[in-house]
Amino acid sequence: MTQNEQDYIGSLKSALSGTIPDEELQDILSDYTEHFRAGREEGRTDEDLCRALGSPMDVAQEIRASWMVSRAEKNRSCRNIWRAVLATIGLGLLNLIVVLVPFILLTLVLLIILVVGAVCIVFGPVAFVLALLQTAGISFINFWLWPVAGVFFSIGITSLGLLLVIGDYYLARFFYHLGIRWLKWNIRMIRKAEGTA
Amino acid sequence: MARPSLRNPHRRVPLAGPVAGVQEDLMNVQFKKGVLEICVLSVLARRDCYGYELVGEISKRIDISEGTIYPLLRRLRDEGLVTTYLQESEGGAPRKYYRLTGTGRDRERELRDEWMQFATSVNAILAEVTHDAE
Repeated sequence: MTQNEQDYIGSLKSALSGTIPDEELQDILSDYTEHFRAGREEGRTDEDLCRALGSPMDVAQEIRASWMVSRAEKNRSCRNIWRAVLATIGLGLLNLIVVLVPFILLTLVLLIILVVGAVCIVFGPVAFVLALLQTAGISFINFWLWPVAGVFFSIGITSLGLLLVIGDYYLARFFYHLGIRWLKWNIRMIRKAEGTA
Repeated sequence: MARPSLRNPHRRVPLAGPVAGVQEDLMNVQFKKGVLEICVLSVLARRDCYGYELVGEISKRIDISEGTIYPLLRRLRDEGLVTTYLQESEGGAPRKYYRLTGTGRDRERELRDEWMQFATSVNAILAEVTHDAE
């Protein structure tokens, strides 16, 4: 528990330095410095002000989460969204279930679609060439039972692979946007029970 | 630290352990943080405030960790709902004042209407239930 302004500002500073830009950090700290100054002018003690402010760690977590989410929104990357998700989890136990689990599941589904698509794109053309060679009667391997059907089938497989990969890209973009909105809403609403954490 | 309970004091079987924690967590989610935004916007709709003043306006009625109002104000500013400006105080040091933008005013009205409708409906249901019980 912090007892005075130095403690409070110090905890906030050490919890946030390195994670958010210095300029922004200074601006945040100045808000709290002003809060203490205004409170003292009304005759309140530092201890009283600290108690009312609550844990500086909670504040730091919330600021960090907000900052990570807005960065992930501006610069889209797996790394940024992952860090935003991790920062949001700190806001409440509930977020393990409502943020981390859906995030991991979605990532897995998107990865599986990508892998299946990539496999189709790689093996489709190979199967196509084999089918052509067999149809022309100059193949050494009898890969296809019905070579002519194989020609069409492998074209189908290749196209399916392309569709899956392109679709996966748009799906990932869509879920990225949705995820950002969900995280923002989450930061607005989720809050630890007071005094329990 | 005394923690005001939002739970029904008349409930006979209190939940224990982690379940109670989650329960309380959910209650806080719904009742406090969610309404903080509209409270802040609504205070600012009446007049511009500096941080400490705004925090005081809210915390005299709602028991919250006052420190969490500042991150909220930053978000509202980033979303373009409020702007800030510096103004000298009687004490000498300049203070950061918060003012609603046009978008902020629109949002305030929107949230206010939603809240009023919601509260009216809930109150009506509560009144009916109380009436039936008598």
